[in-house]
Amino acid sequence: MIDEAKQDLLVQYLLGELDPPMADQVRAELARDVELREFARDFEEAFASLAYTASPMAPPREIPQRILQVERRARRGTPPAPYSKIIWLAMPWALAACFAIVCAVLSVEQAQIRKDLISLQEKNTEASRALVALQQKIAQSESDLAALKEKNVLSELKIATLKAQIAAYKGATAVVVWDKEQKKGVLQLDKLPPPGQGKDYQLWVIDPKKPQPVSAGILSVPNDGLIRTNFHPAVPVESADAFAISVEKAGGAAKPEGQIILVGK
Amino acid sequence: MRAGTCGMTRPAQLPESEFEASLISRIAEGDESAFTALYERFSASLYGMAFRMMNDAKEAEDVLQEGFTYIWRKAASYDSSRSSPFAWAVMIVRNKAIDRLRVRRRLERLRDKVTTEGSFNQEKDETSADEPTLRERGALVRSALQQIPEEQRQALELCFFGGLTHAQIAERLATPLGTIKARIRRGLLRLRDCLNEGL
Repeated sequence: MIDEAKQDLLVQYLLGELDPPMADQVRAELARDVELREFARDFEEAFASLAYTASPMAPPREIPQRILQVERRARRGTPPAPYSKIIWLAMPWALAACFAIVCAVLSVEQAQIRKDLISLQEKNTEASRALVALQQKIAQSESDLAALKEKNVLSELKIATLKAQIAAYKGATAVVVWDKEQKKGVLQLDKLPPPGQGKDYQLWVIDPKKPQPVSAGILSVPNDGLIRTNFHPAVPVESADAFAISVEKAGGAAKPEGQIILVGK
Repeated sequence: MRAGTCGMTRPAQLPESEFEASLISRIAEGDESAFTALYERFSASLYGMAFRMMNDAKEAEDVLQEGFTYIWRKAASYDSSRSSPFAWAVMIVRNKAIDRLRVRRRLERLRDKVTTEGSFNQEKDETSADEPTLRERGALVRSALQQIPEEQRQALELCFFGGLTHAQIAERLATPLGTIKARIRRGLLRLRDCLNEGL
């Protein structure tokens, strides 16, 4: 006796409603159970008999020949006659053809991309070279700029060599480096003899716009006679056309009163 | 087998079934004339069934062609111990029709057709008079269906011609799935018994 649950399962199996694992189980049971197989056959016969309730209709007579023609051509490997079914049969080939075309297009694009990549790499190399060259130029420019700045600095400086006005000071050397912008300078004196008792050497800056030379201070002479000292005028000057050293009374004077011993522009 | 309630005479189906099985065997060997012969025997019913399911002559023709193409190719797989040739062919063509119905999303419209127009009793037999066997079988099944309660007949109808599963029928009729299963099972058992007694 086949219970109702099994009968329901059988109906679902015959109608193709079971999932594959369950259908396999039913199929296996049908194979070993004769009674169940007979029951299934009866069910299927009853179900299929419902087809008789539809009004029979005169079918197209050409269908068998149409099918056989297609099958013969399929066996010979020639393409079958066109009808709707064939479209579906041809679909995999059409998809394969499309896939091949896409592959071909992608292949061409890939080749083009490789070419572009090589071109870009070459351009990159060229750009790197240009960058190196540019960096070298920049370094050169910076160097030139530094040199120009140095030249500019130098252009701001006035160098004057003072010459002896008296034979007794012929051996002495004096150089003044004057900063035009800062309005100050450096004096270097050598081999200058002591000024004598109660006297001092005094440095003067000669500005053409001033009526009198402007004092730049008393010079203290060490025993070795070498002086290197910074100086600046006692009053502001606009320009320094020349420099002079005179021998003045000890402590100096407001304007040159003693003998001028060294002068230079 | 249960005692008769349907009062039908039994047609000479068994010899026919054997003959049809032999046709299928010959088809499996590539016999084109056997294929044509089987088509002539089954196609009217199957075409009518396909038309009933598809509600479209062209689609029914396509379904019939697909079904017979399958029969030509798979004839060797036919097992006479499991089903009669006609039941085998019916299930093949029905499955092809269901495939199309599912693909074309026409189930909803066809469900309506089945329930509102698809009464078994209203069918007209359009076959010619030289197909007495077919007409006799149709009359037998319709008569058997008269013995089945309306709700069982409706469930069978939705299942067979509507191509609906048990679950879909349950949803459509707003009825528990177990009830639908029972209606279909009982309807088939009743139909089987009536046909056996009639045959």
